[in-house]
Amino acid sequence: MVELQNVSVTYSSGVDALNNVSLKINDGDFAFVVGSSGAGKSTMIKLLLKEIDATSGVVTVNGYNLNKLKKRKIPEFRRTLGFVFQDFRLIPSMTVYENIAFVLRVIDAPLKYIRKRVPYVISLVGLHAKTNSYPDELSGGEKQRVAIARALVNDPQLIIADEPTGNIDPELSYEIVELLKGINDQGTTILMVTHEHDLVRHFGGRIINITDGEIVFDEVITGTNDEPLPEEELAAAMAEAEQRSDTAQIPADAPPAAAPADAPVTSTEDALIDEVIAALTGENGGAE
Amino acid sequence: MKLSGIKYLTNQGIENIWKNKMMAFATFCVLLISLLLVGSAALFYVNMNSMILGLGNQNEIAVYLDPSTDQDRVASLQNELAAIDNVDAVDFISKEEAYVRMQNQISRGRAIFDYIDGYDFMPDGFSVTVKDNDRIEETTAKIAQITEVQSASSSPQVAEFLRELRRVVTLIAGALIIALAVVSMIMISNTTKASVFARREEIQIMKYVGATNGFIRTPFFVEGMVTGFFAGAGAFFITWAVYRAVYRILTEQAMLMNAFGIGSIIPFSGIRLYVALFYLLAGGIIGALGSVVSTRKHLDV
Repeated sequence: MVELQNVSVTYSSGVDALNNVSLKINDGDFAFVVGSSGAGKSTMIKLLLKEIDATSGVVTVNGYNLNKLKKRKIPEFRRTLGFVFQDFRLIPSMTVYENIAFVLRVIDAPLKYIRKRVPYVISLVGLHAKTNSYPDELSGGEKQRVAIARALVNDPQLIIADEPTGNIDPELSYEIVELLKGINDQGTTILMVTHEHDLVRHFGGRIINITDGEIVFDEVITGTNDEPLPEEELAAAMAEAEQRSDTAQIPADAPPAAAPADAPVTSTEDALIDEVIAALTGENGGAE
Repeated sequence: MKLSGIKYLTNQGIENIWKNKMMAFATFCVLLISLLLVGSAALFYVNMNSMILGLGNQNEIAVYLDPSTDQDRVASLQNELAAIDNVDAVDFISKEEAYVRMQNQISRGRAIFDYIDGYDFMPDGFSVTVKDNDRIEETTAKIAQITEVQSASSSPQVAEFLRELRRVVTLIAGALIIALAVVSMIMISNTTKASVFARREEIQIMKYVGATNGFIRTPFFVEGMVTGFFAGAGAFFITWAVYRAVYRILTEQAMLMNAFGIGSIIPFSGIRLYVALFYLLAGGIIGALGSVVSTRKHLDV
């Protein structure tokens, strides 16, 4: 479980990276975090990994209050997480097997367990034939599958995937997200940061949009599982939503432009959500 | 940590040497050169010191006895002198021998000896060499207190000069060793930093998957120590070969040996164990610490 309560992060340079952000991701959830560069996504990831501390507010991950977490307890906390990097970050001098087994070595797992568990997760990501290959001998998609296997091997409660499809072919991106979805189906919470709106639209689920250090959109949408929405259309919808959230001056009784006249509108925020979801799903007011 | 964990980390350290062989070789070379520099300076100092002490050993106390001292007492005096603290050796100089020495020392006006009948007027005496040349004055004074001793004399100026020479040599050698050690540490530090920097991402990955600092450092520690040991062994064999060659050349120089005394240059067999221990320990410790300290910067993730 991930919970941010009124979290703000201000860097020493004076830049406000996150501004009073509150967020809760329950166990077993799958959430996409979207937002443009510099919006605050990386800062949020760093916070969740206890790489940086919040200037104010409370950050709780997997039951650990990160504000109070002592430095020597960080390794213990990180063992409850799995992390998938955009640039894979595999140790080049280790084989696929060793890269994955390493995580279990860190937690001093019995050798017998390592010998059983590692081949199992390698087969889960479909890389059995590459067990003894080195990262240099793998394609981008294969590397990312190794990274996912590594994140998965110690059975973490939460996997944070930071742009996991950023360095691989678009068609392979869907495979990677499918893989993460499959892991999520087994009960692992997944938080995936991405720029790729096509993926978000295709798979649907909970979408959190961060803009200028604030969460401007946080809703569950239905995936289309069909042809991708044109990028410009999605971006325009997102931008419009962000702009409106800044001003947030829409009268409560005025229906949003994209919503049908009979749609129940409870607040300005709901109106904005409906508008973006309509753009994302291609439906008129198809919010869940 | 379990035994299997320690075994795994140790193996990782040794495997890392091979996997990162270029950086390991660079560290090995820098450590080897550093150890040779400091070791050579230390050996130079040890030998200079020994040579100066050799010079000092040739500084003797000339002891002359009262001519009336009977021969029995002369014999017992030799033992008495030998028992004095700091006395190394006591050589008896008979009247006849003293007469011959005097004749040899006087080059001009030797005709005077034509007027001297016999050598009975000469006193018996001893040539006393001391263990510690720095205390020659104190020893001379002790000898002079013996009733039968008419005179006991040494050259305190020679002792003073040698003392000063040793002081200067110690200062210069000490400064040289410290300077070389500092330069070596900087070279080693930069090399290990470069070696660790090349693997900073590896360290970060380890941190992200929840590795403790100890878990990350142990392979680096083992890697640095093993590389250091090899560098120490290399430095030892190079020193051995070079030292023996230099020793042979110097000991063949008769003039040098006469001036400083045979044995003033220490044979390698006499210091082999100390040299080996110094190189292996220094190599191992510097290699291990250098690697571990260099990882510190990258551990704060």
